[in-house]
Amino acid sequence: MTQQTQGIDFATLSLRDALDLAVLIEEEARDRYEELAAQLVLHRTPAAAHFFTKMMRVEEIHRKELAEQRARLFGTQPSTVRREQLFDVEAPDYDAVRMNMSHRAALLTALKSEVKAHHFFTEALRHVGSVEVRKLFEELCDEEIEHQKLVKAELDKLPPPTRFEEDDFSDDEPVAQ
Amino acid sequence: MTAPEPFQAKDYKSDLKPIWCPGCGDFGVLQGLYRALAAIGRPPHEVAFISGIGCSSRIPGYTTAYGFNSVHGRSLPIAQGVKLANPELLVVVAGGDGDGFSIGGGHVAHAVRRNLNITYLVMDNQVYGLTKGQLSPTSPKGLQTVTSPLGSLEEPVNPLLFLLAYGAGFVAQGTPADMPGLASLIEEAIRYPGFSFVNIQSPCVTFGEDDQQLKVHKAKMKSLASLKHDPADQLRAMDLARAYGTELYTGVFYRNPNPPLPYEELIKIRQAEESKKARPRHNIIDAYLQK
Amino acid sequence: MTHAQLGLACCSAAPHIMVDDLILGMAGAGGDGVVSAGESLLSAASSEGYHAMMTKSFGSQIRGGESSCRVRLSTKKVLNPGGALDVMVALNWEDFFKFGAELPLSVDTVLIHEEKVGPPPETLAARGVVPREVLSVPISELTKKSAGSDKAKTSVVLGLLSGWFGIARDGIARGLKKKFGNKGEGLLEANEKALAAGIEYAQAHPLAQARTIAPPNGTPGSKLLCDGNDMTAAAALFAGVQFFGGYPITPSTEIMQTLTREIWKYGGTVLQCEDEIAGIGASVGASFAGKKSMTATSGPGMDLKAEILGLATIAELPLVLVDVQRGGPSTGLPTKPEQSDLFAAAFSGHGDVLRPVLAPTDVEDSFRITVEAFNIAEHYQTPVIILSDQEIAQRKEAVDRIDTTKFEILERLKPSAKELESYSRFKLTESGISPISHPGMKGGNYLGAGIEHNEKGDPTSGGVMHAKMNQKRFKKLDPLKQRADLFELHGNATAPFAFVAWGSTAGVCREAYALAKKAGLDVKLLVPYLLWPIAEQVFGDFFASVRHGLVVELSHQGQLYRMLRMQLDVPRGVRSLARSGANPFQPAELVTRLEGLKEMPQ
Repeated sequence: MTQQTQGIDFATLSLRDALDLAVLIEEEARDRYEELAAQLVLHRTPAAAHFFTKMMRVEEIHRKELAEQRARLFGTQPSTVRREQLFDVEAPDYDAVRMNMSHRAALLTALKSEVKAHHFFTEALRHVGSVEVRKLFEELCDEEIEHQKLVKAELDKLPPPTRFEEDDFSDDEPVAQ
Repeated sequence: MTAPEPFQAKDYKSDLKPIWCPGCGDFGVLQGLYRALAAIGRPPHEVAFISGIGCSSRIPGYTTAYGFNSVHGRSLPIAQGVKLANPELLVVVAGGDGDGFSIGGGHVAHAVRRNLNITYLVMDNQVYGLTKGQLSPTSPKGLQTVTSPLGSLEEPVNPLLFLLAYGAGFVAQGTPADMPGLASLIEEAIRYPGFSFVNIQSPCVTFGEDDQQLKVHKAKMKSLASLKHDPADQLRAMDLARAYGTELYTGVFYRNPNPPLPYEELIKIRQAEESKKARPRHNIIDAYLQK
Repeated sequence: MTHAQLGLACCSAAPHIMVDDLILGMAGAGGDGVVSAGESLLSAASSEGYHAMMTKSFGSQIRGGESSCRVRLSTKKVLNPGGALDVMVALNWEDFFKFGAELPLSVDTVLIHEEKVGPPPETLAARGVVPREVLSVPISELTKKSAGSDKAKTSVVLGLLSGWFGIARDGIARGLKKKFGNKGEGLLEANEKALAAGIEYAQAHPLAQARTIAPPNGTPGSKLLCDGNDMTAAAALFAGVQFFGGYPITPSTEIMQTLTREIWKYGGTVLQCEDEIAGIGASVGASFAGKKSMTATSGPGMDLKAEILGLATIAELPLVLVDVQRGGPSTGLPTKPEQSDLFAAAFSGHGDVLRPVLAPTDVEDSFRITVEAFNIAEHYQTPVIILSDQEIAQRKEAVDRIDTTKFEILERLKPSAKELESYSRFKLTESGISPISHPGMKGGNYLGAGIEHNEKGDPTSGGVMHAKMNQKRFKKLDPLKQRADLFELHGNATAPFAFVAWGSTAGVCREAYALAKKAGLDVKLLVPYLLWPIAEQVFGDFFASVRHGLVVELSHQGQLYRMLRMQLDVPRGVRSLARSGANPFQPAELVTRLEGLKEMPQ
């Protein structure tokens, strides 16, 4: 697994910072889903785009919940954790998408991201010092499992994968610019 | 020049939606660039981002900096003009392997030896993406493309060795497969006080080979640090650079431990000296007065 | 046989003429110091207040080939290098003949030659013109005797000319001091002796037809002496140029060389780039960064710069590009003038492009036109091409000091604080000119590009916006067509005879116009400084009365004539008088041709 955060010392991480971190993780994921959706819309891959837009909203809900929790506990205290310390913790890789990717492929991408996030929290838990932070991360771990179940459920609803790749049906030639 | 302020990566992100294919390596490069600029903290209006023509050359438009998406192969001279006109600007140059080493190849040596404090990012994908998949100067020998259907007969240019041989003071290579590493390399390159070069292996999902995609990078990449390479060792850097095409080494190949004054600083010294001899504007013509 | 050869004393019966115009020519081998002598003469005369002009011509060797110069001195402004020489100094015949029609003789020419090379060969007679007065002078002898060395030949020649024609004796003496004063032992003394020897010989052997130049009208120390390239560079500095990116190419290199000595004093930079393309590239970059920027080249460089000229046009960036025209096409005639880059200046580069093209006519107005070019470039946010030519660029002229306080300097339109709140770089304004920001200006961030764009600067491939942008880029230049100050008119508005000429040919035409008027012809002259866009109204009004006209230019195709035909209805009686370069027109010839039009069918 490649490095997912930089400069965060889990051993001394405070609850406030842990919440801020969690908020940013959701924010990062939300922004990435939004970006990927936009790319896919531009490249005529509506099913996957639609799904990623849905994921964007889901991540926003998570973010909001965590942000509200943070506000209740710590008000407007400034945050010391920065977005730049995160490297795609829960956000899908840019490399995960392709033009004409199927709905199934998009779901698999989201699943992979949830697994990634779960792994992150699991790893972090091995180093976390604070009891409160431990509790928070355990909750978040469980939530990631829940999310994975939801995505799997959606996958199960889909017809079984065909022998063909989406791209095989594509009859649009690349256009030189 | 404004003193560094706290800027975030998103402050450098423009509203223009990139036209790059989903999965393009350049998205990662853009991320790395946002992060590097945020770390350095110059306001977007003090950053001038010059590019040539190509998919990767679209990158300035996706930042909030002053961008100049110019003509194919000529970004280096144009960028040098920008920097000389206003040395306080943070000047970044970007383009692809064709833009930089084919049509633009003649300008590289001179940009290096002039040593202005600018940073050159090449998104190297071994193909001409914008024009639909032709051979590029870094394409491996034997590669089949639309302009080499029977396989390329040419050895590729080695961008790393090229830059090292010309004496560039900062030469590095990165990949979006290692985002923290790439962001940090770009930042380091910008901070280097002189001409700096980062070759970024940024795969083309549409026309690139399967063995050049990011998944492969992840598996293949080896950091120069893990090889215990000392970036002050120029000769070892060249030796390691020879593996271009076979190995994907990431990190700093060479950083001049004693960087000389960049060109524009030398100009400033000259201007300060010479300004003592300036004539009032209406007497400039009197240099030709016959007495 | 000359009087001198016959050992006759001065023909005191011969009339002594006072002339206000004298054309001298000199030819020899490189190393003889022919051009150096010309420079000294020029310098001396101008320091005394004469108007003067000097052209040089060389063989193709870098060193040691044939070399020649022509110096024209006058009490009035010198309009062109002139035709037949009044005086010709030939240090040897072989080199003299190499210059052919560049050193034309007439029956009245005083032909002075080195005694050692013998009398004029048959070839001179074969050319049809044998001067009445041919003087064989032991120049070499005199030099050795007076200076102790053959090398001070030029000082003897200067002495001869000074003695015979009364030219600038004090000036020449001062010039010698300036030239040799700080050099080796006895060098000044030797040259002074040589000068004296030349003067003495002249006085002892007076001319049959004595001619002296009248005293100058101007006061000493009132003249500038420089060539067109010098003047262009000085004007650029005056106008506030801060960046020059260029590449050496004959005959424009001196602009870069002058600027690279001076520009640092004014906070600017010169970059000699790796090639022509990098030269204009760097200049466009500097303009993008907000600075007044310039590049210079000749024909071959124009070809290479075409792409980036287009970039500057669509990105609406100011730039001044000086094209010092030489014989073309391709490598052509690098050391000869021609006026055949007009098509390239106006049309080169793909797409619909309109960029202003200006042309100076002599060294003096090279200053004004260069300042104007910067003003137009900055105001209209466009590349502007100055079409100079090898003759203007490399001939030296002594001209009255220019009063620079009467020039206005324009700056580019900057966005207001309000406009920067929501800035659109290519805003579609009434005039077509949009306020322009540059890196460093907060709020003015934009994407400059070669790609078509909308008002904000975002790339677009939409036809409607493209049409609007083309319209903007063309329309913004319309006011130029109303610039009457970019046209010079002489003569009655209703005159039926007319000349039109541009660039260095204008100088010849001005003299032709004067000659024709003197001969009683009702003639008028139009000298356009703005060549493109064609000011249809100005030309149309001018041609309205014309029944016999000539558009005179040095190009095989008569490029301005063709462009006029393209843009407006040119009356049938207005014809093209055009020929390839390195073959300059003479005033008398133009008058004859114009008069000859009377015979032609309407």
